[in-house]
Amino acid sequence: MAKVGVILVRGYLALLLLFLYLPITVMIVMAFNQSALYQMPFVFDLKWFAALQDNQKLLDAGFNTVMIALINTVIATTLGTLAALAFARYSFRGKTLLQLLLFPPITIPWLIIGNSMLVMFYWIYLGRGLHAMLLGHVALSLPYVIIVVGARFRSFGTTLEEAAATLGASPWQAFWRITVPIMAPGMVAAALFAFAVSFDQFVISYFLAAPGVTTLPVEIYTAIRKGYTPEINAISTVIIVVSMGLMLLVSRFYRFGGER
Amino acid sequence: MSRVEVDRVSKHYGTVRALDEVSLAFADGEFFGLLGPSGSGKTTLLRAIAGFVEPDSGDIRFDDRPVRDLAVHRREIGMVFQNYALFPHLSVFDNIAFGLSVRHLPVAEIKARVTEILGLVRLAGYEERRPRQLSGGQQQRVALARALVTRPRVLLLDEPLGALDKRLRQQMQIELRQIQREVGITTIFVTHDQEEALTLSDRIAIFNEGRVVQIGAPHAVYERPSSAFAASFLGDANFFAGQVSAEAGRIEADGGRRIATLDALPPAGARITVAVRPEKMLLEPATAPERDTPNRWTGVVKQSVYSGSSITYRVDVGTEIVVFAQNQSAQPLAPGTAVAVTWDPLHSVVVEA
Amino acid sequence: MRRTVRQRLTVLGLTAPAYLWLTVAIFLPLSAMFCFSFLSALPLPGRSVSFTLDNYRTIFSKQLYLINTKRSLLLGLHVTLGCIAIGYPAALALAKYVRGRWREAVFLLIVLPFWSNGLVRTFSWTMVLRKDALLDWFVRLFVPDAPSLDLLFSYPAILIGLIHAYVPYMILTCYVSLQAIDDSLIEAARSLGASAFTAFRRIILPLSLPGLVAGTILIFVPVIGSFMEPEILGGKEAIMLGPIIERQFTASANWPLGAALSFVLLAIVLAIFAATWPFLRPHLRDA
Repeated sequence: MAKVGVILVRGYLALLLLFLYLPITVMIVMAFNQSALYQMPFVFDLKWFAALQDNQKLLDAGFNTVMIALINTVIATTLGTLAALAFARYSFRGKTLLQLLLFPPITIPWLIIGNSMLVMFYWIYLGRGLHAMLLGHVALSLPYVIIVVGARFRSFGTTLEEAAATLGASPWQAFWRITVPIMAPGMVAAALFAFAVSFDQFVISYFLAAPGVTTLPVEIYTAIRKGYTPEINAISTVIIVVSMGLMLLVSRFYRFGGER
Repeated sequence: MSRVEVDRVSKHYGTVRALDEVSLAFADGEFFGLLGPSGSGKTTLLRAIAGFVEPDSGDIRFDDRPVRDLAVHRREIGMVFQNYALFPHLSVFDNIAFGLSVRHLPVAEIKARVTEILGLVRLAGYEERRPRQLSGGQQQRVALARALVTRPRVLLLDEPLGALDKRLRQQMQIELRQIQREVGITTIFVTHDQEEALTLSDRIAIFNEGRVVQIGAPHAVYERPSSAFAASFLGDANFFAGQVSAEAGRIEADGGRRIATLDALPPAGARITVAVRPEKMLLEPATAPERDTPNRWTGVVKQSVYSGSSITYRVDVGTEIVVFAQNQSAQPLAPGTAVAVTWDPLHSVVVEA
Repeated sequence: MRRTVRQRLTVLGLTAPAYLWLTVAIFLPLSAMFCFSFLSALPLPGRSVSFTLDNYRTIFSKQLYLINTKRSLLLGLHVTLGCIAIGYPAALALAKYVRGRWREAVFLLIVLPFWSNGLVRTFSWTMVLRKDALLDWFVRLFVPDAPSLDLLFSYPAILIGLIHAYVPYMILTCYVSLQAIDDSLIEAARSLGASAFTAFRRIILPLSLPGLVAGTILIFVPVIGSFMEPEILGGKEAIMLGPIIERQFTASANWPLGAALSFVLLAIVLAIFAATWPFLRPHLRDA
């Protein structure tokens, strides 16, 4: 390829990455900046992170966020893996329909899903709060888990399970000794995904939060609407570092974009 | 080691008949090849014997015992898959030992049997390797060892050599046959490679569209195909349509020529098709002294294809026929040469159209 | 057949938990919302409510809702076009001009922010766009004494935030499509006399269309329903369906109207899906 072309391509991609990471970098930098009004020049200061420790509301919200994310991960990964197994191993009537039904949670605007959950839970007296949020988060994580685990299973096919059967392994033995070890990386990736989906979830949590019972994203949003406090920067930095760190982990177990 | 009986087994998927009243009997210790084009039902039958496919009707029996209600893992079979299906997360040793360990055999016995079979497939010393570290031929041998170590009643092979290149395949064919003879196990294998089927099998069955078209020893099936399909699927054939002549053992081929045959013929006047294999025909320049055979047709060479050890001729004798000639003289006959084609009436095979 | 029955039971057992959960959390609520949209007021204890079409009548008659819907659709259009303009060339570069380790690394870097917290990302844009913050500082490097661009709380700010959030989606779908185009197709076109540009226009572009369409849908639909980004970045300029719906459920407590509005939005979404279904189907298998 012509030299000019190579430079153009590299330059374009570099600019794109700059655009993508600019605001995040700025925010992280500002979290360490002394100025309360985000003004230059830059003076290093950890005081906003220190202030976090005294902010009980944020700490409670943080605790809620992590708890829900953990429980969500366990439930979604288990239920999702079972369903993925069914899809991979068997063909049955209604399979396509079930697979199609995985799309509404991801594709319908979360605004609609959020407030319809609010309406329904109100009607059946389930109300709002952590349990409601958990219900919502798992529902949103399930499609991702099923897809990720399903992809892993598909790349190995059912031949390995068949081979185990011909060697005398009962379905139970085959599952534990062959299927699970091979699916493990896919399940780990799906679990990390589920954690991230819940951890970063804003819209659903926003509608289902009860007074005094919220998650970090909801707290951040309320704070933004009311007016800025740089503590928000600090907690946001923490969140984004955790989220991106999680995704880096996922990439170890699951190939985005397919093959090399 | 068991006999296997397939009794009028049928299977359809929607409107497609994958198997249509198939009946076969596999003798104890026999090496049996299922041959046919894609979709002919041979793989479906193999998987039905294994237990992955449930027949819609008919029975399958191992040593007279029906296996319909037996799940795959209870049938005591050994199976080698097309892509070997070696467990990637286990070592060679653990792969082979798998069938023994799910039966909870004592550790010492497992070790002994695995070591023994590794010797048989000439992979001693490879115990700790992972499948991805092995070559195609080595993986195939591990797959075979894994299937055999449990001493199954039947060995099922699904296109076992398909993934190997030609040289390696020929080598593995010999090894496979040797091992099978040593162990003496009833073996059923599926292939679409006719050469492989002919080389390895004690008997073969040719499948087409869910039905068995012909069964027999390779030699019998090849030399005396019973149908045009069998004649053209296994090997090549020149087909001549015509009418049974009033003269005994003669057929009036369409186009005016006559064919002599030793096969039994229907009454005079009946329509009939005769197949003659290209390698059975002798091609000589028309000027060569006449041979003493009733089947002698003259024609012109249209094309000669040189393939090293043999030459393929396309000859116009009124209709176009194919002749295989051994490369004895290193001088292919040029297109346009006037030639005479002769063959023994023994090799005029009457087939159903 | 005993085995088929056993199989059916296994399938049922494996899929039931997940789908029961989805039913309770997603499908039932959607139906509940549909019913709700026909109520006259929020059913509080002691208050009597009746079924009515009033909510829908209000939506279709009042100018306010029409304007908001139009603005939402326009926003969707602008964001999608922006994502195509920025994302398609990037996908093309990744699919055809970058190989090996670099490709994986760049791809990961592009996808990473996409999966991080959307709220935080949007918030981070306020740092840059605010009055006298980074953007102004940057501009003043070249033109000192320039007045503040004061981009925050404006329509362009919403655009920037949303494009930033959704462009990885477009890059992903276009990349999948582009990467499936065999290099030998391009070579064949060149050997037949086509210039690089013609080969692009007549071979690459048409073949990558499914990716473009999929990306469009995956971006357009969430954008028209978004409220968080418009409210944070647009402030008073966030005159769109999303914020209005959100307000019905929080400030105005007019849930039935909110439900009706949501359903109108949902209808638009479903209409878009129905219209573009043939393009989406191949992508189902890639998932």
